[in-house]
Formats: sequence, structure tokens, C-alpha cells
Amino acid sequence: MSEDLIIGIAGSGGDGVISAGESLITAAALEGYHGVMTKSFGSQIRGGEASCRLRLATQPVLNPNGPLDVAVALNWDDFRRFGAELPVEAATIVIYESNTGVAPDKLPLQGVKPAVVFSVPITAMAAEHAGTDKAKNIVIAGLLAGWFGIGRESMLAGIRKKFAKKGATVVEGNVRAFQAGLDFTTANPLPEDRKLSAAHTGGTAKLLTDGNDMCAAAAIFAGCTFFGGYPITPSTEIMQFLDREIWKYGGTVLQAEDEIAGVGAVVGASFAGKKAMTATSGPGMSLKTEILGLASLAELPLVCVNVQRGGPSTGMPTKAEQSDLFQAAFSAHGDCLRPVLAPTSVADIFGVTVEAFNLAEYYQTPVIVLSDQEIAQRKETVDPIDTTKFQIIERRRPSGPELVNYARFKFTESGISPISHPGMVGGNYLAAGIEHNEQGRPTASGELHARMNEKRFNKFNPLKNRRDLFTIEGDPDAPIGMVSWGSVAGVAREALRLAQAEGLQVKLLVPQLLYPVAEQVYQDFFASVQRGLFVEQSYQAQLYRIVRMNVDLPAAVKPFAKSGSNPILATEVLKLLREMVVAIQSNSQSQPEAVQD
Amino acid sequence: MTTLEAPTKPLSLTKFQAGDFKSDLKPIWCPGCGDFGVVTAITRALANLGRPPHEIAFVSGIGCSSRIPGYTTAYGFNTVHGRSLPIAQGIKLANPELLVLVASGDGDGFSIGGGHVAHVIRRNIDITYIVMDNQIYGLTKGQLSPTSSRGRKTVTSSFGSLEEPVNPLLYVMGYGANYVAQGTPADMVGLGKIIEEGIRYPGFAFINVQSPCVTYGMEDQQLKAHKTNMQSLEALGHDTSDRAKATELAREYGTKLYTGVLYRNPNPPATYGQGVTERQEALKKTAVPRHEILNRFKPSN
Repeated sequence: MSEDLIIGIAGSGGDGVISAGESLITAAALEGYHGVMTKSFGSQIRGGEASCRLRLATQPVLNPNGPLDVAVALNWDDFRRFGAELPVEAATIVIYESNTGVAPDKLPLQGVKPAVVFSVPITAMAAEHAGTDKAKNIVIAGLLAGWFGIGRESMLAGIRKKFAKKGATVVEGNVRAFQAGLDFTTANPLPEDRKLSAAHTGGTAKLLTDGNDMCAAAAIFAGCTFFGGYPITPSTEIMQFLDREIWKYGGTVLQAEDEIAGVGAVVGASFAGKKAMTATSGPGMSLKTEILGLASLAELPLVCVNVQRGGPSTGMPTKAEQSDLFQAAFSAHGDCLRPVLAPTSVADIFGVTVEAFNLAEYYQTPVIVLSDQEIAQRKETVDPIDTTKFQIIERRRPSGPELVNYARFKFTESGISPISHPGMVGGNYLAAGIEHNEQGRPTASGELHARMNEKRFNKFNPLKNRRDLFTIEGDPDAPIGMVSWGSVAGVAREALRLAQAEGLQVKLLVPQLLYPVAEQVYQDFFASVQRGLFVEQSYQAQLYRIVRMNVDLPAAVKPFAKSGSNPILATEVLKLLREMVVAIQSNSQSQPEAVQD
Repeated sequence: MTTLEAPTKPLSLTKFQAGDFKSDLKPIWCPGCGDFGVVTAITRALANLGRPPHEIAFVSGIGCSSRIPGYTTAYGFNTVHGRSLPIAQGIKLANPELLVLVASGDGDGFSIGGGHVAHVIRRNIDITYIVMDNQIYGLTKGQLSPTSSRGRKTVTSSFGSLEEPVNPLLYVMGYGANYVAQGTPADMVGLGKIIEEGIRYPGFAFINVQSPCVTYGMEDQQLKAHKTNMQSLEALGHDTSDRAKATELAREYGTKLYTGVLYRNPNPPATYGQGVTERQEALKKTAVPRHEILNRFKPSN
């Protein structure tokens, strides 16, 4: 039996490629499997080519990448447009639409000859049993359910539910189409060992969602009642989810006239005392920069989610990249520090978003969440989250005595000053983008400016000691240390798993807190390390460089970085780890191969 | 999870004096600046309204006029250049109980921030927008402003401006503002009146104040000239409910100095805030407890 199955399906828009994938991952989630599904489209708004990748497994799926175990092609032109996103190998089981007219031994795949190939009259089966070729996705679901032993019952139930409104004839037609898929697999069986093993969790259902929806739900949980933003791929679903939900909690979503107005309204709502959030992606983040600086100087809490895509400028709007870390950390004029957090998965973005609100409220600061397109838009099974474990922090408001001769920016030991808001008697003050004294009055005093800078920086000191915002996995004394963040941390985790299975001594540091750099955490981590590797999806290896700005890393710590949309494979990382082991063993000075230095 | 409620008190019935709204911060303006009159007119209007300072949020951008919030005792927010309107809208939507005022200038309001004006009008958010229009950039020492007249020579238009000025009155009329007025500190009573009425108007209110720059302004734009040139719309018998006539009068911006209410929609349409409140009320009962929000993600095929 197989423990891990990667399926890629491609066709034209309207072929039902995505809906077939979705029924499959939903069935898998209901049966307790772990799974991740990513979607990819051509640049057309409608139609054009569409594909999805599903990775289903009996243990947690750490990333969606890797060569396909199963390839489903509804037509070959569309399939081939996805290139490296749907890599076919000799061991890949290929299922394709017979009416493409391609002979099973003459697949239009360069340099690969898959051993197991099924030509299936998918369209004809749909037309015959459901009376419409729209049921192609149902036939595909039947084929995959049959061959790989997933979700037969739940998918049938799903078909009945989905088509119930359209009447018994339509329901039965689709059930027959599904059954036809199953029957085809009975007539053309695969060896049993290609089937997916039963889920280890004994069939406990999981949650199923994507990173944008999970982020938005976390905002609701954290008590966010205001969202201002502007549509931009791939972040828009955050605004869409909140628009469906936030009003129920007395909140408001404002689709602003531009990115600046979106974050402007958020700053206003925060000044008025509410927990507020905006979400955007690269170009929008550039536009929001000035207002984020205002929030830093006026010490106003807010959460700004940047769902990273390839850049600069319009760049690669539908592809993930980790190239906005410099921007998140540094794009402000003046001396300015704001926390930057990053989630590693759909599950992780829940806690990271809640933490972002907590940090924003506690430190009275904008906090940036660096999500990325992959996390944002991939569907992932998530183990149920016990929300009672999460603390919700509110901003420190002034007490009665503190409101007598109230000083909004009072110098305190922690650097955190109680914050009032309009409506609070005695809390009246002038918030401003201009430097101010403790009372909020404008000042041009260099001495005050220096003291206020010190206050605004020192208040973050405890944050650098938040070791709970870092995970260290693997052998604590390993001579090889990896660091990885965001969605790519999943690849590094899988590489670690593979390395450990080979008996290699490796450890992995995954930060949720990217900035400010927690110097001591990195120093401790690298103390035992002879060789190190930062694994990142950006040309510049931005985390590697930011850490090096702050920490003296051993010389043999190098980055392995690739520009966005070029999947980093766990097997590639494993290869580098092996090379590092050899280098240590031979005590040679040769460095691991690095794309960038 | 707890939400700390502000120790607010109900709408005060105390009688206020204009002085209750003036802070002890000394203005940075040049002696004789029109803005002195504007802050006085605003504080008088606020005293008449009877809302205590802590229930007022006064927002501004950047420029001489944008210093105003600090000279009042209200909650002030002196923000960044051109963005006072979005920030003020966030405040009003977050707490509809607040009285929200916005102060701006011709550069802040109709050049760098001009793009936001259309949107606050079409949303009809209940805030009052007071623009101190002096046809010049004063804070940065005398550059061309969007309302400077064509041909005007300034330090950035040494050979004369090559562009037509923005017409703020026509601009807001064009986007359908429901309350549009113009005043000058040359008529303090009239100015206080249109500000007070603008604040009382349920919905977005726009007040253009011809507030002269004594240092870089033209001679025919000073208060002395206003006193001779200004024409009271009320005295002219203008019907403030006549949108077409108001638009016609607005076209004369730059050549005539009309003071008073140009347009006042006698049937104020619903505000954005009313729509928000109704929606929140209607949907409240469908909310699941916040800690159960993840149940949204239970799969069902």
C-alpha cells in the first residue's frame, strides 16, 4: 500500500478539473487523510488551461511538491502547458482522455515513457451515463476513487447532495457516471500496492480550507472588527471571507478606493479603539508603506497581511515567492521597527494571525504577516484546532488615575504607554505623524526625538526572547542546521524527514518571527553547527541576509534560494544535506552548492 | 475574551464655551493667517453643538491648515499628506457615535488627496470636511497649488502656471455632495454658521473656506479684499435646495466669492453608517461564537 500519493489533473477550463480535485480532497479530509491541493491556471480570466495537484497521505503533508504518482490529462496541450508544475516520471500512472487520439505508447511527453498508461473515454462515459459531458469530473472522481481506494462513499453522498436540487434524474445520472468510473477500474485493475493505505487517524475528519480563509477566520477569532482593503491577487479572499462574516460581530469591511485608503481607514479604526486589519500583496504593500510608518510613530495597533507573490512590480501575481521580507522589515523612512511574522502552512496561519493581533495590541504597533500565494490559495486538511489554547490580548488602556493629566506617550519602563481612544473622558490627545512629547504635542527637539525612538525600539526587546515563536526540529546537537520559513519550511521539513530516515544528523529551525531578528535564538542554534543552509524561495535569500546583518553566522552557512514559481523539492535539499555530511566527514573545505551567495 | 469599554458619559448637556475647545498649544501660523479665524469659527460651532471634546475626533493631513486639530481639545489625529479622509472614514465607521471633523487645505485636499474626495461623497459618510483654500502651498513656502489661477507666478511656476485650477465647489457638486458651503474668516458669523450647520447635516458635508495666506497669498485674496468682494448667497436670495442653480454658482469659483450654503439637499439620503448599522443588526443573530468560527471549515462533500 502507498502512504503518500501525488495526483495531477489538467484540462481546459470547464473540464471540471478543479471540482474533481475538490471532491477528492474533501473525501480524503472526511476520511481522516492528510492532504494538500494546489491549483494553477493560465492567465485567462475564464477558460484557458486549468490544473490541480493533490497530495494525499497517511501522515502530515508538509508540502505539495514532488513528481506525480498519477497524472490525469483531459487534453495534452493543456497538460503540457503546466510543465514543471506537473512532472511526469517513468513510475507515474498516466490516465488520459481517449478522444485525444493519442496512442498509449506515444504520449506527447518528452524523454519519459510511463510504464502504466490508461486511455479512458472520459467524455463518452460522462455523456453515456449522465447524459452530459459536464459530468467528466464525476467520471474522473470515480476513476481515482476506484484505483486508489479513496472516498467512494463520501463522494457518492456528495454527488447526491450536490445535485439534489436538480432532481432525481440528474442525481442518478451522476451516480451512474461515478459508478462507470469505478467499474472501469475494476475492469482495468492496478496492483494493490498502488492504493493509498487507510488513514492512521482512524478516520477522524479534519478541517479543510485555504490560507486566506484561515487567516480571515483567525482575525474574527482574535476580535478584529474592522477591515479596510483593496482587491489584489492573491490576497483578496481574505476580504471576501470577512465581508461574509465580520458584520455579524458588529464589524465592518470597507472596500476602499485604493490601497492607501484601505490601510488609512484601518489606522483610523485603530485610533478609534478597534482591532483592525488590512490585507494585500506586493504592489499594494508598496503603496501602504507611508501609512504603516504613521502607525509606527503614532503607536497604533494594526495587522497588515501581505500575501507574497513574485515581484517586483506586477511580477508574478499568481505564483508564490518569499521576496517581500526586506520590504516588510525595512520599507519605512526614518528609524522604524515593526514585527514581521510568517506562517508555514494553512494550519499555522491561524496561530500566526492571532499572534499578530496580540503583538499589535500589546506593543501598539503595526504587525506584518508574510503569507504567500501557496499558503493563501492551497486547500489543506487541518487537524481540529483547540481555540481555547489561544490567549487574546487587548491593548493596555489607561486606568482612571492615568487619565488625570493623561500622557498618551508616557515614558514607561516597558516603553508601552496606556492608550486611550475617542469617547474616553480625559483621554483626549493629539495623535500625529509628527514627532511628539509624552503628551502628544508636536516637537522639534532632538533630545525628545532620540528618547521617543529609544522608547519605540526598546518596547520590542522582550519580543526577541519569544522562543515559542520558533520551532527546532531534528537532532539538537546535529552538525548540520537548516533554516527555512513560510511555505518553503514545509519542503525543509520533508527534507529533514528524509535525511533522518537515512540516518543523517540534521536539525531545522523554523521561525514564525522573522523580524526583529532574535539574535540569541540563531546564535544558540548555530553554536553546534559546522554547516548550515537557509532554504528560501527568493533570488536574494532575504532571511539569510537579514539574519547575517544581525548575527555572526559560521562561514559554512549558505543559502539555497530560488526565484518564485520554481518549486524547491525536498529531494534537492536532501541532496545538499548529503553533500554537507560528506564535506564534514572528509573535513574538506568544499562548500555546499548554493544557487546564490 | 474581554473588550474593555471606554468610560464614556452620555451626551453632555453642559453648556460649552468656544474656549472649552481651544487647546493651549500656540499655533505656528503667521500673524494674520486666515486659519486663526477658522479655528475660532470651528470652536464656536462646537460650543453651540454641545458635544463634549472627548466625543469629537478631529482629523487632518499635512499643511498649515492641518495643524488645526492640535489647537483644539478634541481627540486629534494629524495624519499624513492627503490621507485625512480615509482615516476619518475609518474612525467614523469604527465608532459611529463620534463627531468626526476633517481639516484640510487646497493642496492636501485637492491635489495629493484629491482622489479620496469622490469616494467619501459617493459613500455619504457622515463627516464634515473643512478645506482651507488659500490657492498656495504655504507650509513649504509658496509653491503652486491646485487652486492657483492659470498664469500665476510662484517659485515653482517662475514663468506662470500653465494649468487650469481645480474648482473645489464644482468638484464636490459633480460627485453629488449633499451639503456644500463656502465661507471666509472675513465673515466670522457666517463661517461659524455654515460649519455648525455642516456638522449638523446628516451625511457628508463640504465647506470650502477662503482662508488667505498672508505671506504668499495674492493681495486680492486677502481678508480685506474678501470684505469688499464677498456676496452672501442668502442676501442674494439663493435657494439652497436648487442643485442646478448651485452648480451654476459653483462655476463662478475663482471669479466670484459667494459665501453661505450653496447646496443643501433638503431630503438627506441614508448615510453609509446607517447601512452598516442595519446590516450589523440584521446579521448579528447569525453569528457563531468567535471561538467556533473554524467550524466553517468542516468538510462536506
